[in-house]
Amino acid sequence: MADWSYIPQVLVSGLGIGCVYGLIGIGFCVIYNASGIVNFAQGAFVMLGGMITHMLFARNGVPLPLAAVIAIAAVALLGVAIERVVVRPLWNRKATMFVMILATLAAQIVIERLTLIAVGDQPKTLPVFTDRPPLMIGGVAIGFQLIWIVGGSIAIVGLLAAFFSLTKTGKAMRACSINREAAALQGIPVSRMLALAFALSAALGAFAGILITPTQYTAFNVGVPFAISGFIAAIVGGFGRPFGAFLGGLLLGLLQALAIVGFGAGLKNVAALSVLLLFLFIRPSGILGAAK
Amino acid sequence: MSLAVAAKTDASTAPAILAATGLSARYGHIHALHGVDLQIGEGELVAVLGPNGAGKSTLLRAIMGLSANDGEVRFRGEALPRRDPVAVASRGIVLVPEGRGLFSPMSVSDNLELGAYRLGDKAEFKRRRERVLALFPRLKERLGQVAGSMSGGEQQMLAIGRALMAGPKLLLLDEPSLGLAPRVTEEILETLGLLNREGLAIVLVEQKAPLALELANRVYLLSLGRIVAELDPRDITSHDDLARHYFA
Repeated sequence: MADWSYIPQVLVSGLGIGCVYGLIGIGFCVIYNASGIVNFAQGAFVMLGGMITHMLFARNGVPLPLAAVIAIAAVALLGVAIERVVVRPLWNRKATMFVMILATLAAQIVIERLTLIAVGDQPKTLPVFTDRPPLMIGGVAIGFQLIWIVGGSIAIVGLLAAFFSLTKTGKAMRACSINREAAALQGIPVSRMLALAFALSAALGAFAGILITPTQYTAFNVGVPFAISGFIAAIVGGFGRPFGAFLGGLLLGLLQALAIVGFGAGLKNVAALSVLLLFLFIRPSGILGAAK
Repeated sequence: MSLAVAAKTDASTAPAILAATGLSARYGHIHALHGVDLQIGEGELVAVLGPNGAGKSTLLRAIMGLSANDGEVRFRGEALPRRDPVAVASRGIVLVPEGRGLFSPMSVSDNLELGAYRLGDKAEFKRRRERVLALFPRLKERLGQVAGSMSGGEQQMLAIGRALMAGPKLLLLDEPSLGLAPRVTEEILETLGLLNREGLAIVLVEQKAPLALELANRVYLLSLGRIVAELDPRDITSHDDLARHYFA
């Protein structure tokens, strides 16, 4: 039988991973809102964020903050490249959602395999950002990396909210998601907004990957599980609702952590997918209700 | 063809701001517009009338490059791109579409701001916004309100206001009176008349002919995707007159 005295500790670590799922889920929403596309290459962005930072930092001696910034920028550029090379040609042909999902999944696999060839199959990691003993609060150990993850995620969510509600570009992206044709009629360059959405969610994914890598590891094949978790977060939150996706991510992270205590680590994905099925059966529009 | 266009241009008093030649359009496999030729003069208010399904909306959409179309549309002498509504809009042709196309979950203020998306000049932005709010004072009281929560008339005012924020050279309106109370319709059409007297060229698609006829300098009658008559509204004195042209 599981030892339930660990619950608070487990919840704290679930919170950290939940934030990361939430960020990935937001990435799904940003692209979905701009285009109606579900981008399954999202996981590749997460993997590459951690991987590129590791390569720059561990192999080339670039300071960690700089390595992280370069990695985020590089992954954002890759996002734009995927939009141009894979998504736009299909979009212009009015490809169905099913085709888009397959095409982005294919892009994910290509990136994964190229990474395998380039850096091998050994897991890589990053040092924690602040190397100090964890804070003890009421018998619960709170590592500094967790504070980075939660703080960084909340900061990003706040910045995104400000971007979408205060800036003209952010409002224009929302306008495209509400009514793409009307947006075009205002002279809003809808296709550039799509490229921007890919850049933004790629950067988000990379940021999430960099935050989580010190507590776990990264390897060529971590992308798909992260993408699935982020996708579940987005569904649970109400697809197309960035804030909902973040809540969905938190919920998923906490439930997964509890499932690990209750049933063992082997069943963590069973728990996650059960949550997905449960929501699809009972509340397919998610916590906040789907955006469309 | 070009000779015919030139002759027509000479016939109308103003030089053409917009000239469509052989404009055809289809929805899927259905041809909704068949080789339409039309001219809009600088500063003119032209009404396009016709029964339901005549192709009035399709005509406006084809000018914007929204629907699959053939033929040529020239704006102040320059050919417009045919499948690129963003490019057409940035030349200064703004369509207030059927159903208004508002960004309903966003505020009135945000909708207006997005109308001026391509405008970088802050002072000019302020000037245009004040002008729009002066034209439609009701919007001023509702700036923070969600666009979709307003009445139909207010939404139509916002849709026109948003179009004006772009500083259009030619304004296309698709049935602005649809679903509105007569009093509100009159208010909106009066404002359009005012804008036109200030020099704005307007194409007004309407089903309610009498209202449009009061304002229009010229009328095209559209039926089954073709222009069947070009009229001077002063020649149309009764509804019977118009009906005669519909069925001629």
